[in-house]
Amino acid sequence: MHAIETVGLTKRYRTIRALESLNIEVREGEIFGFLGPNGAGKSTTIRLLLGFLHPTAGQARVLGLDIVKDSVAIRRRLGYLPGGIALYDTLSGKQQLDYLTALNDRPPIRRAELCERLELSAGTLERRVRDYSRGMRQKIGIAQALQHDPDLAILDEPSEGLDPLMQRAFYGILETLKEAGRTIFFSSHVLSEVERVCDRVAIIRRGRLVAVEDIAGLLARRRRNVVMRFDGPPPRLDGVGGVSNIEARDGRLTCGIDGDIGPFLAAISDSRVTDLTIEPAHLEEVFLELYGGGGEADAV
Amino acid sequence: MNGALFGHTWRSQRIRLGLISLALLVWGGLLPFIYATFGSRFKSLLESGLMPAQFARFGGGDVFTLTGTVALSLIHPVPMILISVFAVGFSSYAIAGERQQGTLEVVLARPLDRRTFYVTLLLASFGFVAIAIAMLLGGTIIGSSLAGVLAELPLQRMPLVWLNGVLLFGAFATIGLAASSSFDRAAPALGWTLGIVIVMYVLEVLGSFWPDAAFLQPYSLFHYLRPKAVLTGAAEASDFALLAIVIVVAMVWAIAVFPRRDLAAPI
Repeated sequence: MHAIETVGLTKRYRTIRALESLNIEVREGEIFGFLGPNGAGKSTTIRLLLGFLHPTAGQARVLGLDIVKDSVAIRRRLGYLPGGIALYDTLSGKQQLDYLTALNDRPPIRRAELCERLELSAGTLERRVRDYSRGMRQKIGIAQALQHDPDLAILDEPSEGLDPLMQRAFYGILETLKEAGRTIFFSSHVLSEVERVCDRVAIIRRGRLVAVEDIAGLLARRRRNVVMRFDGPPPRLDGVGGVSNIEARDGRLTCGIDGDIGPFLAAISDSRVTDLTIEPAHLEEVFLELYGGGGEADAV
Repeated sequence: MNGALFGHTWRSQRIRLGLISLALLVWGGLLPFIYATFGSRFKSLLESGLMPAQFARFGGGDVFTLTGTVALSLIHPVPMILISVFAVGFSSYAIAGERQQGTLEVVLARPLDRRTFYVTLLLASFGFVAIAIAMLLGGTIIGSSLAGVLAELPLQRMPLVWLNGVLLFGAFATIGLAASSSFDRAAPALGWTLGIVIVMYVLEVLGSFWPDAAFLQPYSLFHYLRPKAVLTGAAEASDFALLAIVIVVAMVWAIAVFPRRDLAAPI
């Protein structure tokens, strides 16, 4: 069984196509990244999964349950962190967590651990939320989403507002959850963190799925940028598989490599290479390549 | 009904409810003193023709009889505004306000269906209105006792006056909550509800002061608040039934609309 499975999931608002025939499968126990710029359809997908929106067409199952018929049963087993979470300003952090716990059927068995890792002290939790910084609010948001140890956590821009140390603590929490067999659906436009924590990623553009792939696979088949210095004649790279955009001048050669780098390495093996830099293919480049221009929702 | 949501709602309103209840208790206690002290003088003034006769008909209330005083204590703008803090303000903000500030999605991400969410808030609204009116009438009884006119008050009919008031303000609360469940922002929900209440109040008051406009009164829900008639045994069940029908219609609207609405991301 998949933690999330959508088949032709579509959402249209009159003239706006917010999501068009989305097909994704999120495996149980994985951290699944959901990437796309603002307006691409990430929030629409999440809100459909949570039952906040009603699909125009298609189906989706979360934890084996239908998102339309079994919405309450689904929400019993999941944790949700909305992007830019809003909290009750007049409540303290603890009251906030207590109230949201009371609305759940499950006890907050992970709260103490989460508060410790996110450095939410008892004193901090006694303060009213209106006195919290953005980062503190985000920590409360993370705690409320995960404190009851949900089977599936849907996190929308979860590290927003966290300082680098807290981001690191948060990634540690994700690893712990993954080790415990929990599934994380992770929506973000911070590419470096998706690259760091996710097993697989789906990229969505203008309401349509562009790619679903292992992070490693996605990076591996993308172009690498090579900068090489050499003594003597430049290596002959014309016609070498996957190599393109070759420019050699004054003992410096630059090119791009798509896919397997084996042929390239073989081709330069006879040259006197003094320096070689093969830039790792960052997800950001993959992302920009897939996107080209803009990500706003299209009119139908 | 959801107990946690109900408890949270009550806790969030407890100071406001306390202050308004106190104000209504004082207001309810004040009018019997005015009646006991100045009632006969006002009556003489009215009979002398110096005061227009319409003053004796303001929303069915007056200060010449204790039953009229009870009616005035409910229809006067002061209690109207105080009770409307819950009947209009709370109810129209309850859903749309949470949606506007973004807390609605945090709550609805829990295993809580929207009907239960609505019904819980509706019960809380009725609870606030019921307590507010009970405090006002409690103040009237205490004031009547202290002013030495309690014997003139048919106490056994006071629960019916309370019910009449709860049905009227409950109807406004239900309309407010229906509006709140229909909009993404609090301002239009509040605007519609407040607009309906003000228009109805104007129709009732206009009809009571100006005989030519009396035909407008049946179009106002305030017309079916009849404390004086209830206390004198002249009330009709249809007055209560009409208010109950308005409550049911607004409830059906909200229960039909709210669960089916798309709750897109807050802007």
